[in-house]
Amino acid sequence: MKIPKKEELLKLQAQYKTDKKIGEALGGVPEYLVAYWRRKKKIGKYSLAKYTKEKIKDLWETYGNDQKAGEELGISSAAFYKWRRKYNLLEKPKVLKFQQLELSLPSEILSQGNMGRQTIAQKLLAKKSGKAQVKVGEIVNVEPDLIMSHDNAGLVIKQFKEIGLKKVWNPDKIVIPLDHRAPAESEKTATAHRSIRMFVKEQNIRNFYDIKEGICHQVVVEKGHILPGELAVGTDSHTTSYGCLGALSTGIGATEMAVVWATGKIWLRVPESIKIVVNGILPKGIYAKDVILHIIGQLTVEGANYKSVEYYGDTIERMSISERFTICNLSMEMGAKFAVVPFDKVTKKYLSTVTKKRYAPIFSDRNAVFEKESEFNVNGLEPQVACPHNVDNVKPIGEVKGIKIDQVVLGSCTNGRLDDLEIAAKIVRGKKIHPEVRMLILPATRTVYLQAMKKGYLKTFMDAGAVILNPGCGPCLGAHEGILAAGERCLATTNRNFKGRMGSPDSEVFLASPATAAATAIKGEITDPRDFLK
Amino acid sequence: MSKKFKGKAWVGGDDIDTDQIYHGQYLPLTDPKEMAKHAMEFVPGMENFASEVRPGDIVVAGKNFGCGSSREHAVVCLKENGVSCVVADSFARIFYRNAVNLAFPLLECPGISKMVKTGDGVEVDMETGQVTNLSTGEKITGNPPSGLELEIAEKGGLLNYLKC
Repeated sequence: MKIPKKEELLKLQAQYKTDKKIGEALGGVPEYLVAYWRRKKKIGKYSLAKYTKEKIKDLWETYGNDQKAGEELGISSAAFYKWRRKYNLLEKPKVLKFQQLELSLPSEILSQGNMGRQTIAQKLLAKKSGKAQVKVGEIVNVEPDLIMSHDNAGLVIKQFKEIGLKKVWNPDKIVIPLDHRAPAESEKTATAHRSIRMFVKEQNIRNFYDIKEGICHQVVVEKGHILPGELAVGTDSHTTSYGCLGALSTGIGATEMAVVWATGKIWLRVPESIKIVVNGILPKGIYAKDVILHIIGQLTVEGANYKSVEYYGDTIERMSISERFTICNLSMEMGAKFAVVPFDKVTKKYLSTVTKKRYAPIFSDRNAVFEKESEFNVNGLEPQVACPHNVDNVKPIGEVKGIKIDQVVLGSCTNGRLDDLEIAAKIVRGKKIHPEVRMLILPATRTVYLQAMKKGYLKTFMDAGAVILNPGCGPCLGAHEGILAAGERCLATTNRNFKGRMGSPDSEVFLASPATAAATAIKGEITDPRDFLK
Repeated sequence: MSKKFKGKAWVGGDDIDTDQIYHGQYLPLTDPKEMAKHAMEFVPGMENFASEVRPGDIVVAGKNFGCGSSREHAVVCLKENGVSCVVADSFARIFYRNAVNLAFPLLECPGISKMVKTGDGVEVDMETGQVTNLSTGEKITGNPPSGLELEIAEKGGLLNYLKC
């Protein structure tokens, strides 16, 4: 047969791409023969596509495996290897991106290099302090990615002025939502709010959310201010909540925050880590709030003092970001310094709806050293109630059923999101709040409020006789909007039931899930929500 | 920072939280003198603390003292009343940190709450961690601050530490 000329062969290649198809087009010439001709005529193999260095690097850092990365591009592992050799990406990536979870080969790869046996807290604090690795107990000086303050920014400003600096270190890293006493309940607060408004203008702090926006922690998560693998500090103890996105975050005081505003740095002790594994299918009427109350009841209010808590297990994996938020938020009530649910598909999906920013999640090594491991199984778990005056005074609902309640509060950073309102609305729908109960509802943020309005939940609550308050902390910390008198009892979806937390020292607060809150509001006494879910 | 304190003890229980030490309703106050008036207001049995405490008195508590909120007021209100230090079985994290940053001496001393009653005279040596109940003669040793904590305390708190 006639051997095609170089021009003909190039034409055929442009049309048919592969040697095999060229051979077929020529009437059954074997593939190897076409390849032989090409080599003779110095025609390179047709390259299917050009990949940029960024693309190859990204895939390499995602998978750390030629086969898997090649599959993503539809090319062989050898082809992918050639591409990365071309771009000089010859070493295994030190830290992988999230897809490793889906490949379920995280630890082998993560522990390569000298990073083995480290927890999330160690790895993240090492990264932030510019060290290869850090030891538990070591003090590191780190630069947080996000620093958050709420109404107490007023106090931070006062301390900042004492330092004598004119400008904050980086206004773009500071987020300030006003939520604790919003709108101002007193002249003192109004003055503080005013000083904050003036300060943020003067310092060009753009991420300031005035009283309209809602609870600080939910605002931070909702607006994409925190990302997986990042470090945040906030002048609020429940700053641990951002662990729901695979970040490390913790609460500090106002003076310390003033120093962070000034220097961008904070000293942190690398904490011991605790691993909590939660497995099992949540029974009907049992929610994330019941799970975490149960855990706190078992581990006690100082069970995680100074520690970093990492959550694992299939129950946690199935939880939404909102539910993980509840878990990380309340972990503070065991004293946790950090509480984190490692990044996974759920996190990725959520983040795709709130931000376009890039991020690099951090995971514990497979053999990471935990101080303690606790396992919980939620099969058969009952609704849980934290009774006065400690968050670890947790009882199954059967033991507290029937206690008369004067006020029900549905809201807070712990349980004021759309899914919480939905759970309660479904129970309340078409029914009336007990005439002797005041039911207060606070959507956590303006966004949640608008969504709840659109879905009709607010109308459901109003029809039932509940009071809808503006997004914010409301009565949770006993500041305003629903203070309790002596002798009154409140069941709330909030986070603290300390003596006098919501008003008089002679009042009582019980903590429970939104479902339990809704059922209780209807009956006027602590009620098992499962009675309404049959 | 002086190293030895001698004073009358005020003894509280376990898990005394920040709302008991300084209630949320007073958070808008910014003047430490005003804050001082509400110290320990919600701690059972210490309702009169703010009016009866004398400079130099020592607060003794059980485990997890200062759990809860990140409010610094909880430290400020004790310090402003002239409380010389708090000795507890253990402290909650943020409270401990705030105290270090505000140069308010804390001594973690497991077992102390069982050894002292309200009204007892107590001597605390912050350097060695030794606590003596002057009324009974009993002694116990806690974990005195060291490293960075001590440095910050010696400079008179985080703001001064920063300025140095």
